[in-house]
Amino acid sequence: MSRYILRRLALAVPTILGITVLIFVAMRVLPGDPLAMMGSQGQSTRVLTEDELAAVRASLGLDRPLYQQYLAWMQDIARGDLGYSFWTREPLRDQVLRRGPISAQIAVLAVAISWLIGVPAGLISALRRNSWLDNLSRLLVTAAMAIPSFWVGLIMVLITVRLFSWRPPLTITQVWEAPLVNLQIVAGPAIALGIGLGAVVMRMTRSAALEVLNEDYVRTARAKGLGQRALVAHHVFRNSLLPVITTSGVAIGGLLGGTVATETAFGVPGLGTMLVEAMTSRDWTVIQNLVLLYALIFVVVNLLIDLSYAWIDPRIRFA
Amino acid sequence: MARVGETHAPCSTTDLVKISRRALAKRAGMLGLALPALAWADLATMTSGLAQDDPLVAAAETGLLVAPEPEPKRGGILRTAFGITTTSYDIYQGGNVAVLTHLYDGLVRFNPLDGLQSIIPSLATSWEVSEDGLTYTFNLREGVTFHDGAPFTSDDVVATFSRAINPPEGIISIMQSFYRSVESVEAADPLTVQFKLSAPQADLLTALAAPFSVVYSRAALDANNQDLRGVVSPGTGPFVFEEYNEAERWVFSRNENYWNPELPYLDGLELLHVAAWSDRGTAVLTDQAGFSWNVSVETFAEGERRDNIGARQVPSIGCYMLYINSRREPFSDPRVRRAMHLALNRQALIGAFRTQETIALTRWITHASPYATPGEEIALLPGYRAEKDEDIAAAQALLAEAGFADGISGVELLAASVAPHAEILAPAIQDLLRTALNIDLQIRVTERAQLVEEESAGNFDLVLDTPTITVSDFSAIGNLYFRTDASQNFGGYSNPQFDELLGAADLEMDLEARTAIFRQIEDVLDEDPPWILIGWTFHLPMWQSYFKGHGMEARTQSVWGRLDTGWLDQ
Repeated sequence: MSRYILRRLALAVPTILGITVLIFVAMRVLPGDPLAMMGSQGQSTRVLTEDELAAVRASLGLDRPLYQQYLAWMQDIARGDLGYSFWTREPLRDQVLRRGPISAQIAVLAVAISWLIGVPAGLISALRRNSWLDNLSRLLVTAAMAIPSFWVGLIMVLITVRLFSWRPPLTITQVWEAPLVNLQIVAGPAIALGIGLGAVVMRMTRSAALEVLNEDYVRTARAKGLGQRALVAHHVFRNSLLPVITTSGVAIGGLLGGTVATETAFGVPGLGTMLVEAMTSRDWTVIQNLVLLYALIFVVVNLLIDLSYAWIDPRIRFA
Repeated sequence: MARVGETHAPCSTTDLVKISRRALAKRAGMLGLALPALAWADLATMTSGLAQDDPLVAAAETGLLVAPEPEPKRGGILRTAFGITTTSYDIYQGGNVAVLTHLYDGLVRFNPLDGLQSIIPSLATSWEVSEDGLTYTFNLREGVTFHDGAPFTSDDVVATFSRAINPPEGIISIMQSFYRSVESVEAADPLTVQFKLSAPQADLLTALAAPFSVVYSRAALDANNQDLRGVVSPGTGPFVFEEYNEAERWVFSRNENYWNPELPYLDGLELLHVAAWSDRGTAVLTDQAGFSWNVSVETFAEGERRDNIGARQVPSIGCYMLYINSRREPFSDPRVRRAMHLALNRQALIGAFRTQETIALTRWITHASPYATPGEEIALLPGYRAEKDEDIAAAQALLAEAGFADGISGVELLAASVAPHAEILAPAIQDLLRTALNIDLQIRVTERAQLVEEESAGNFDLVLDTPTITVSDFSAIGNLYFRTDASQNFGGYSNPQFDELLGAADLEMDLEARTAIFRQIEDVLDEDPPWILIGWTFHLPMWQSYFKGHGMEARTQSVWGRLDTGWLDQ
């Protein structure tokens, strides 16, 4: 097992390095000079002149060769340093520590909501295949999958503003500071995301359960007189979970990296909005390091998913 | 010698103010603020009709502002909702003025009690301008300290503005052009400072009153090698910096040692980052924030319907326009530019854009400026009037004269990749010019930074853009955008007559004469347009009715400055 983990981690190194090169190059070949917009803050849209641009480039170290800039970044990473905002020199670590828990809560809650909706609905649909209940839930699922979660978010905000003169708080309150206020921040995005993800989970559960229901051991269990409840609880439910866990695992990786559009729709200051702000102001160091962080999260989450297979299905071994 | 407390401008003519403009104009008129002829009158004459305890008189005489309402309450934290991100903490190097200005003071400032129409003392208690207009002497306030306890002296003013007019190597000065005639800043003694000019500059006081003309401490500048981009430097202002969570919020607390003992009334400010206009609106509607400088059209309309919300549209210093590349054929021919200016149906564009932003029918001088041509006159002018038949016929004749009787093809219109630009305005312009003049525009949508890069490199035919300027005075705008070789003159526009008139406006200190020059300038720009101007916009500030003292009801121009006279009626 430990050899398997080490091998997976070793394989992750070139993946991560590839991502660093990709994002570093991408930021620099994108058209448009971020510095040209430096004067466009507050109530001004003044564009810097060539001389001014040269002065700013030099002061930020952007006049150095690209390989030197890349190596300097790699040195920071090797030291475990997430770096500083390109513009204001604020440490990125502080921001990630402040915003990360909000995005993490949204991700975990969204997945929990998706399971609460998707797993029972999927099981019921499979057990009542082609009934009106199955048809209705499939219709709802198709609708939920077709509607983007940010749109659901916008509608939720619109409704709460118009009907209750209420909208989610705009600043961060951590769960350990004021749990109820924190819940107001994370609940909306989690529900909006959870509905869409729940639809996917429902479909996965339904198809997996249908497959399991046709397995010999289920037929045998039925023949031996096992009741429907026990059959579903002990055989169908557990064996239908593998694809659901894979889906949820991949989803949680994406959600932990920040749900850009949905966070923006709710005005939630999580990692997603942080990335949007960094893109808007072309804060290269923030973008680079956030993307790297997301890549790391994906690698770790995928590893955890693989490991969880063994726990759920003892037939799987990491030989 | 001219005297302290003079107006920088006559009253605005905007008719969109909800409060009693007559009452305001009466009071302002008594101060000489409404009458250009009294612009340089003695303060005693100007204030003779008002009671000495009138807040307007006190502010004009001493700079010791108070809230306009009687018995303002103290305490509380005001939350605001607007864009608070910044690429720098140094205002002169691109810092967010609307945020950072709360920490600092300028030598002078616009008076929030009269809608930002007059200029009143701040760190300078009085000032004198020499007869030749080449020396401005500011007498500084005694006993002022920076937030770190250091005393404020003329040395700080010298250090701040010397850097602004002549930035050392590696430092940029975005505001440099606003002080374009200032040659040197010198300290006569610890409480007197002199600005020496190479030529008179009529808009200098206006630039010094703008929220960006803040005074930094020399000690802070020296300690940071003149570069404050990464440092929130201590100021003398009404609020003290407490905390900044990037792209989330700024927290400021009351300056207990502020030189004006009356201000601020608030215990602090919490400036929340809300990027989208609609979110700013919902933030105010739901009381997540007490105030926003500019909200979306639909949330503004909702606010107007509610009793607990204050909302008012205020003329802004931002506009929608098309940059024209005058270096390229066929736009190097003024007749082609004039034809487009005449043929464009501004009313149609304004109507099409109404759901996004409110654009006013204006000429070249923003309606936020008292020098603006009145709206009723503009509505009768060729190119601006609603009836287009005559203008289009004239435009077609001009194009034929220029050799384009059959229209023009292969012209590219560059637009930013934001929906209102790319999906509403650009197609509307494309359609109007094709219908009226058979000019075939190909729209190319690009990311904003790319647009700016191509624009500043002169790599375009036409660009749809929305420049925002920090000072409403046309001298500042003309010297930045239209003068031959100006830094933001991306289309390479050059008109010697315009340059001459702009130079004359720079030198002219008499308000009436200056107004006349500006009118001539607008005529020249109508005849030989550097841009296709669509119109200057309105900002839509909105606030909870418990937030008082901001004077937003009387504002003649949307300047995002200090909220230091504000208080909470809770």
